[in-house]
Amino acid sequence: MLTFALRRVGMVVPSLFGLLVLTFVLIHAMPSDPATVLAGDNATPAQIQEIRQKFGLDRSLPVQFLAYLDRAVRLDFGESAYSHRPVAQDILLRLPATLELVFVSLVVAAAIGVPLGTIAATRHNQLPDFVVRITTVMATAVATFWLAIMLQLLFAMDLHWLPLRGRFGDDIALPAPVTRFLLIDSLLALRWDAFVDAVRHLVLPVLALSLGSIASIARFTRAGMLDALQRDFVTYGRAVGIARWRLIWIYVLRNGISATVTQIGLLFGSLIAGGVVVEAIFDWPGIGGYAVSSIVSADESAVLAVTLVIGLIYSVVNIVVDIVLGLVDPRVREKG
Amino acid sequence: MAKSSRARLSRLFAAAAVAATLSTSCAWADPNVLVSGDPLPASLDPHQLYDVTMQTYMLNTYDTLYRYEGNPPVLQPWLAESSEVSSDGLKWRFKLRSGVTFHDGSPMTADDVVYSFRRVLSLGKAPAGALKPILKPDNVTAPDAMTVQLQIDKPYAPLLSTMPIVAIVNSRLLQSHTVNDDWGTAWLASQEAGSGSYSLDTANYVPQERLDMRRFDKHFLGWAENPAAPKEVRFRPTKETSTRVLALLNHSIDETDGYLPTDQVERIEKADGVRVEKNVSMALFLIRMNNSKPPFNNLDFRKCLSYAFNYTGFNRDILKNFAARDPTPMPVNLWGYPKDIKGYEYDLTTARSHCDKARAAGVAMDRELEIHVPAQLEQTTQAAQLFQSDLATLGLKTRIVTEPWAQLTGSTAKAEGSPDLWVHWVSTYFVDPENWIGQMYDSQFAGTWKASSWYKSDKVDGLLRKAREVTDQAQRQQLYEDATRQIVDDAVDIWINNTVELRGVSSRLQGFRYSPVGGGTEMRWVHLKD
Repeated sequence: MLTFALRRVGMVVPSLFGLLVLTFVLIHAMPSDPATVLAGDNATPAQIQEIRQKFGLDRSLPVQFLAYLDRAVRLDFGESAYSHRPVAQDILLRLPATLELVFVSLVVAAAIGVPLGTIAATRHNQLPDFVVRITTVMATAVATFWLAIMLQLLFAMDLHWLPLRGRFGDDIALPAPVTRFLLIDSLLALRWDAFVDAVRHLVLPVLALSLGSIASIARFTRAGMLDALQRDFVTYGRAVGIARWRLIWIYVLRNGISATVTQIGLLFGSLIAGGVVVEAIFDWPGIGGYAVSSIVSADESAVLAVTLVIGLIYSVVNIVVDIVLGLVDPRVREKG
Repeated sequence: MAKSSRARLSRLFAAAAVAATLSTSCAWADPNVLVSGDPLPASLDPHQLYDVTMQTYMLNTYDTLYRYEGNPPVLQPWLAESSEVSSDGLKWRFKLRSGVTFHDGSPMTADDVVYSFRRVLSLGKAPAGALKPILKPDNVTAPDAMTVQLQIDKPYAPLLSTMPIVAIVNSRLLQSHTVNDDWGTAWLASQEAGSGSYSLDTANYVPQERLDMRRFDKHFLGWAENPAAPKEVRFRPTKETSTRVLALLNHSIDETDGYLPTDQVERIEKADGVRVEKNVSMALFLIRMNNSKPPFNNLDFRKCLSYAFNYTGFNRDILKNFAARDPTPMPVNLWGYPKDIKGYEYDLTTARSHCDKARAAGVAMDRELEIHVPAQLEQTTQAAQLFQSDLATLGLKTRIVTEPWAQLTGSTAKAEGSPDLWVHWVSTYFVDPENWIGQMYDSQFAGTWKASSWYKSDKVDGLLRKAREVTDQAQRQQLYEDATRQIVDDAVDIWINNTVELRGVSSRLQGFRYSPVGGGTEMRWVHLKD
């Protein structure tokens, strides 16, 4: 298992290097001038030239890339041209909000999607199966931004049950930042008011973000379970009198869920991308809005750092998924 | 589990249950707290950033030597009591007001003003744009504790009007946070060192997400004129227009930003407890033409395009008349605007005749013209689409290209990279014609986005440079009027309107004063009605 895990970790370094090269080349392929951005709106040509020299932007691209790489391995991502703060500080401030939103959405999606898919498979071509199939198709087709606005109109504007926007309320003192995940920090501080407030702010963004994932997970689980239910061990299990719930929820599910686990890893990436829209609509102070602002303002240091950090997290999540898959299905470990 | 722990947990769960049943809170409940949905500046350092988002923050937390008040804006002494200029126009002396204290209680002196100017000039970022070509850091001095002197390199008549750009910072505080000669930039990006009417609550500040300010009771101006000014102002910026409007309607915020789309105006006006503040700004909306590139280097072709834009259709039908037609590069409400000027009107027949003349002169018009628009600014796309349809009737092929603002401005550094046409606003950074035609059409600014027409006229250069140097106001006005007429005759760009700023506000917000300089709001003049 250790060799298996190490092999997966070893593959991350070249992937991240490739990602960094690609992003660096793409940024410089654009006709924007980072010196103009750094100088600001009212700068004169002389000011722009001065800044170009000061930040080494007049050097060749390979030299600039090596200099960036040298700083990046020391976790020095430079200063943001947009916020004028260290990029690492900006990312640290926003990343936990995005990760909290995405992780909670994934957990919710898995907690609802897996049982739905399982029920649909075990009631194949019966009413529950039809319901799940139709609703998942509908859920996949719903545009996230439309759903988000509808949720706001219903639950925040009409019913006044949940907050319209933001990550926590104005009248609640924040718990001391330990992990910067509000749910965890409020629990660590035994601050239930803050915990409840954080949950209430999470409900609508999580619903908007996870609906598509619920549908996707349900459909993958249904397909995997249908395949597993055809296997001989199921007939054998029934013949020896294993209880139906045990047979389905333990043995069949374990055999049929491999594709779903892989899909959950892939969904993580699409949730971070989809989160940009949800973060904008709900004013969720995450990395999505920061990434968009960085791209719009051609903030090279920030774009590179965000790409690298998200790439790293995506890689880590997929290593975890591979390890979980190896634990669930020993055949994966053996194949390497 | 011990009994006391169980009891504690029970109490916590009970509190949680109560909190969970609460409906969403209403910010309007507190008559002393104003909640603004205005966007926050990316950095809090007013010497690093000088854009529209910085204006409100800077106006409230910092003071300047002079300040613009009202609409049209009038320059008033603020931290300076008076100023005088030498007969050659090179030496400016500012007498400072006494009894001004910073938020930490320390007194403001001439040393703070000198430090502030030197910091702006040394950092060389956006706020230095107007001053750097004429003022060296060492030429800002303090003859005594309450006098500041600026020795400029050449006469510069708009100098006084640029004074509201330089925020006066607490030099001792910044020096104590300076690391590696960085002028305290790392620290001030998230902190505050001013003497303004409000002070920043640094403990509660989260960049781009939340910013709270508290009334500074010891502000030099006192609070007698508006004793009911809010004790606290909270900024809760919203990124999406729909969320921003919903937040106003459900009483989460007291004001939106000043860029309300026209389709949201009616919605707000129909709702209870909210209204729309409408104020003519000095921001100029225009379509740039790259005069250095064929076919735009031909006067008849540029006139053809100038007659082909449907000004009335755009201002009346698309913007619902929330715009003032401006046929020149100067704001209609600024001195130097020639009152008798006609400009160009929408007339496709005349446009076609100019295009025919250009064609007869051998101008090739076959290539596809690109109209660039900044991303996320819907109005620019609407203008481009309207223009595209009329140009098609003249047989001109066009393509609309959407790009991030930074990419667009970056591309204007060179004539060959500048777009054929691009749509944008020129905002008000200081109230002098220099902010508009001075920096847009004097060829010495070529290479900046503001001068991206790549227009070169010796006559206009001469007029604008003279207007920059002479101090007689009547003479300056005549020079700018002459320059404007020539630029319009040369059909350098397509000037469309001065924008009307539309801001949704709660009905309890009273005393709102609009400033066209960056659209900033001074909270010291407003109050919240019970």
